[in-house]
Amino acid sequence: MNQSEREKAMTLLAHQPAFIYRLRFSRSGSLSFIGHLDLMRTFERSLRRAGFPLLHSQGYNPRPMLVFALPLGVGISTTDDYVDVSLAEARDIMEVMAGLQNALPDGLRILDGWPVPETGGSIMAMVTAARYRLQAQQIFPALQRLFLRSEVTVEKRSKGQLRMLDIRPLMLALEHGETENENEAIVLVCAGSHENLRPDLLLQALTAFEDFPLQEAANCGVERSGLYAGTYPDLKCFKEMI
Amino acid sequence: MNRTNKYAPVVLERGDLLSVENPARYTGGEWGITIKQEVLDEIQRTGETKYIRYAFCFPDIYEIGMSNLAVRILYHVLNQCPDVWCERAFSPWKDMDRLMREKYIPLFSLESKTSLRDFDILGFSLQYEMCYTNVLQMLDLSGIPLRSCDRGEDDPIITAGGPVVYNIEPMTDFLDLVMIGEGEEMIVEFMAEMKKYKDSKKTGQPMTRETFLQNAAKIEGVYIPAFYDVSYQEDGTIREVKPNRPGIPAKIRKRVILDMDLAPYPTQSIVPNTKIVHDRAYLELFRGCIRGCRFCQAGFVYRPVREKSAKVLCEQGIEIEKATGYDELGMLSLSTSDYSELPGLTDRLLSAFDGHHTSLSLPSMRVDSFSLELTEKVSETRKSGLTFAPEAGTQRLRDVINKGITEEDIMTSLALAFEGGWSSVKLYFMLGLPTETLEDVIGIADLVRKIEKLYFEVGRKTGQRMRRLEMTVSTSMFIPKPFTPFQWERQNTMDEFVQKQQILRDRLRSKNIKYIWHDLDTSVWEVVIARGDRRLGPVLLEGYLAGHIFDAWDDCFSLGKWMTVLEKHGLKSDFYAIRARTPEEVFPWDHIDCGVRKDFLLRERERAYAEQTTPSCREHCEGCGAAGFGGGVCYESK
Repeated sequence: MNQSEREKAMTLLAHQPAFIYRLRFSRSGSLSFIGHLDLMRTFERSLRRAGFPLLHSQGYNPRPMLVFALPLGVGISTTDDYVDVSLAEARDIMEVMAGLQNALPDGLRILDGWPVPETGGSIMAMVTAARYRLQAQQIFPALQRLFLRSEVTVEKRSKGQLRMLDIRPLMLALEHGETENENEAIVLVCAGSHENLRPDLLLQALTAFEDFPLQEAANCGVERSGLYAGTYPDLKCFKEMI
Repeated sequence: MNRTNKYAPVVLERGDLLSVENPARYTGGEWGITIKQEVLDEIQRTGETKYIRYAFCFPDIYEIGMSNLAVRILYHVLNQCPDVWCERAFSPWKDMDRLMREKYIPLFSLESKTSLRDFDILGFSLQYEMCYTNVLQMLDLSGIPLRSCDRGEDDPIITAGGPVVYNIEPMTDFLDLVMIGEGEEMIVEFMAEMKKYKDSKKTGQPMTRETFLQNAAKIEGVYIPAFYDVSYQEDGTIREVKPNRPGIPAKIRKRVILDMDLAPYPTQSIVPNTKIVHDRAYLELFRGCIRGCRFCQAGFVYRPVREKSAKVLCEQGIEIEKATGYDELGMLSLSTSDYSELPGLTDRLLSAFDGHHTSLSLPSMRVDSFSLELTEKVSETRKSGLTFAPEAGTQRLRDVINKGITEEDIMTSLALAFEGGWSSVKLYFMLGLPTETLEDVIGIADLVRKIEKLYFEVGRKTGQRMRRLEMTVSTSMFIPKPFTPFQWERQNTMDEFVQKQQILRDRLRSKNIKYIWHDLDTSVWEVVIARGDRRLGPVLLEGYLAGHIFDAWDDCFSLGKWMTVLEKHGLKSDFYAIRARTPEEVFPWDHIDCGVRKDFLLRERERAYAEQTTPSCREHCEGCGAAGFGGGVCYESK
């Protein structure tokens, strides 16, 4: 097969009905330290262990059809993330959730799930904002000061190149955590394929502008605690879309 | 040494983990690991445990170590023992090594994050010589005395096993106990002794380390280096290796598993959370090799050939695929084509995996019409490259090394492959083989050019539109290894190697050919260690203390630095590498018995010089000695 034939084969998607299940999951502990590709592979293998009839992409190198809402960076835990799993046969949602849970390594938990229509649109395209819980000494006041600025320009490395980026428009809101102490902060930031603020960039800005200690920034606990669709301030929480 | 915080888990800060390459190397938590909660509970209650804590150590990074089948088999075997909890530890890469030293973080196990010095045993899996200083790194980071003679009654027992232990002499200063041969049964017997040793420590009369080692020495295959004295002749060769205690055997015989069908095999294997080098599930088709290529150590030390039946393999394959979720199943052996039930096995597995998107990988195949068809059948994706290992460029030299492959074989198979649409070929050769002349080296270039021509001839003859031909020619340096018919041979000098490489570089200039040559420096050091004796112990120690670790990684290795250390200790690399041995010489490894007799190896060497080949074990038994184990191919038709 030559190059063009190969491309043709890849784009020729034989139409097979897909049964899509949206699963809400959390990750913690050692599983927080793997990258996005490793997380995808881990889900893939877990689904195979669970014995589900995974739907594969067509063409040259068929891959199971798994779509994650938003990649999770290395070192970030989550209590509210989503993956769409496509199966070739309909299954009861409770069976999907329980079956997968039993096959997942420690640190990954299925929290909820529901079937979504095939025509529902890509879960990736829906994400517009994310909420992160940050834990470090005196992080709340430092973030408070950062939010008072009208411009926060940091160096961002993307595709091997450094460029300057004002992240202030991507910083949406700052809140206290449940305990209202100074060592915890909840931030709402732009997220998704269009505009995305990674929490490490926010921490970088703290060290650059607010004299936040490097050591504190490096060891700051970062947990994703919410994913949203819609336009700020009219955001819609993913978990309420069942 | 009394520590109040014994067994306390090592905690790594988030910032530390994020500052190193691939933190998943150090975090554990994979699917399929063994956590013996009862051990942790007992420690919480009493501060101690009656279980044997075994740290399975691999002296290279996680991604390499987890790709090794022995790690998985022995992890499984040990954790099946009711009194043992086996955990894993790997060499931290340089970034983590630095961080651990800076912050006084001890090396820990992945399962429970327990500091390695709190274990009863550290068992090292030694797969290649160049990992030796990483053993020292792991001991050092654990806070365990590096030399066996410096360890006290409370220090862990340090053991090793693996393919390189057939000559482990350079490492004997650092190892308390060595297991020679296949470990599945031996290690269980060893654990029984270990249990007595550990239990005695709670009584009024604790067993000493010395007594324990003497008891362990009674297990067949167990080698206690400290129980042997080595004396040298004036010319630096060995006079004699002799036991220095009563009741210690003069020779240590390797262990083999005779019934592969009954051998323990993990079907619920660990599935790493991060990508490793060989990221797939494995079946082990057989051990040993019927071929007897004269340069190949594995071909002799793993004798006799013992196959697992297709029935058992098929059951294991189906179970592994289900239990691990892997989408690729690799068939492991030294020469896959020689597995007697290969077509039946692959057919059954393929039909069992129908619709699963699971592929089979068949490495180490001889290329012929059968294997081409099979390769096409088993792989879901595109035609990857074909690999040939003629090893030598002329028929004369291929006969010398007993590589039972002719130019006609190669040409016929390649013509078939080219007609079938393959356009990428890899060819492996060795430089510096015994009796090699420049004519043989030129023969490599000639063979490569003939293959290049063949490709375009096939195109003309069949009228096919041919894709661009991609040929990769790779040469490695011949390393005379212990327990081969070439163990007496000299290695080529640097100058000879350079000259030979230059000849090939000049003759292989073509847009279709990519010529890759292995690092010369590494080969020189590898032969020194592979054929080395106990005098290399202090050299390795000093090299380690000077910071030489990860020698298996070309960009970490420096021959110059090692040569300086070697000379400082009054040793010369030429003595180990370039010097040819006489048949009378006592080798540093002569007290190890791998089952193949020295007189057979000498006979094979003479045949090599006479350019005579030796038939495979299945065609004719040459009486190498391996039949003494009482099983395998030696008894197949009897």
